[in-house]
Amino acid sequence: METPPRPTPPAPAGRTNLWLGGVTLLFVALAAMFAKNLWGHVEPQKPLPLVDKKFLDTTPWRKTYADLVKAKEDLSDYDCYGCHEKGKPPPIRFDDKHKIIIPKEHSNIVMGHGSHDRNDHCWNCHNEQTLVTLQARAGQDVKFDNIPALCGSCHGPTYRDWEAGAHGRISGYWDRKRGAAERLSCANCHNPHAPRIGGREPAPGPHPLRDPHPAPATAQPAH
Amino acid sequence: MPLPSPTPDKTSDAAMTRRSFLRGTAAVGGLTALAASLSPLRELDEFTNTEQFLQKYYKELTPDEMARVLKRIEGEVEKQYGVRPHVRDLKPMDGVEFVYCLNLTRCIGCRKCVHACVAENNQSRSPEIQYIRVLRLPHGSLDIEKAEHNYDAKQVPEPGFFYMPVQCQQCKNPPCVKVCPVNATWQEKDGITVIDYDWCIGCRYCEAACPYWARRFNFAKPQIPKDRVNPNMAYLGNRPRKQGVMEKCHFCIQRTRAGRYPACLEVCPVGARKFGNILDPESEVSFILKTKRVFIQLKEEMGTSPRFFYYFDK
Repeated sequence: METPPRPTPPAPAGRTNLWLGGVTLLFVALAAMFAKNLWGHVEPQKPLPLVDKKFLDTTPWRKTYADLVKAKEDLSDYDCYGCHEKGKPPPIRFDDKHKIIIPKEHSNIVMGHGSHDRNDHCWNCHNEQTLVTLQARAGQDVKFDNIPALCGSCHGPTYRDWEAGAHGRISGYWDRKRGAAERLSCANCHNPHAPRIGGREPAPGPHPLRDPHPAPATAQPAH
Repeated sequence: MPLPSPTPDKTSDAAMTRRSFLRGTAAVGGLTALAASLSPLRELDEFTNTEQFLQKYYKELTPDEMARVLKRIEGEVEKQYGVRPHVRDLKPMDGVEFVYCLNLTRCIGCRKCVHACVAENNQSRSPEIQYIRVLRLPHGSLDIEKAEHNYDAKQVPEPGFFYMPVQCQQCKNPPCVKVCPVNATWQEKDGITVIDYDWCIGCRYCEAACPYWARRFNFAKPQIPKDRVNPNMAYLGNRPRKQGVMEKCHFCIQRTRAGRYPACLEVCPVGARKFGNILDPESEVSFILKTKRVFIQLKEEMGTSPRFFYYFDK
């Protein structure tokens, strides 16, 4: 800052200049501190934990016979005549409550089809004459890789929805001109022996709003 | 800056008048304040970009200009996130109007859609931005006031509750578009309400106008780990946003305008989510709207006419 030339300043002016210089220095220092961001420096937020990649998985829950054939995987579970004799229906035993007794060779099977497990007989779906096929409600032979035809013979409305794309999972292209839509089969989600799907672990909720003391169901949503 | 000569002073302090002292102080103080007030700009290094600053309105960009813009965005994303993306400007298709249907009988509230959406659309992980909010409602009520979205169960579905995911409803009569003072958000002919993140000024009017809490604001610079960046990007879709702009669900433009299903639909383990072209009578959504008990457009009384329908199976 220039000031017009003046005669040698008397003593009080020296004091003022000293003050002015001091204030200027103070401001320069402040500016430098601002520029260096010495205070008001925001601590970077600790990154939130990332969601487990298992929640991003789109693969179906189960593999059907058709999937196993496609992936050339072990089909020994479907090799019925490895143990059973051809043309001779295996006997089925019941306990005194008319519950089917699962033989230990098939101990992985949980019988739980229908309300009160009413669909509880092997030959309701399996074909006792040819164990490598299934049989639909009206007795038609159904191959293991054509499960919807079997399920649809009882579950008509669900089959209708599935055919229209309204029931079950779908992926790929909604625009069929550009690509195929990938449909899942009934057994990709449902276990035919116990089709009801159980509970799942939910993915984590919204983090910044997560309340350690969950509000009762009647509380207002936080937003 | 030479100061004009102060008026001759009769007092003894001729060299330094009160006026010149105040002037000097004010000048230095003012400069300091200016420096201080501009200091946050140093953190905006990635935004001080004349090309972006001078960019034209989206609808006025010629194809050549758009190509340059996409190239610039690809460079910026690579610099910031370390991943070379493929950014496209996908236009709406003729004869296509998107509709979403969600089956409340099937939804189990697992929140997989929330996180698939975050992964697909490059939302900020920290601070967290999510487009989908899964509401838990007690059976026998559709009163949103009773909804809870912070439920933390070991297993879902919990007995006595059902779940209703809410995201942008892609309204036919969108209040968010009406309030935008700069036309940075608009409805395209396929029904998707889009946001131009380069045009948004961050006033958050749209957030206030939306009755579905569907819009999100980037209060801080979005953080996305390098290995979680989705490189398949669209200009009006999932390209990374910057601090100070709005974002929301756009029906995965980068997927749906290329003919594919949205990410939230593909990850849904129970097939509760259905998406398609309502103008195609053979599509799943046409079938659902014709045959199912479609019970609401959420907050129907608002007159927003959502393209997002909730329905029951049984």
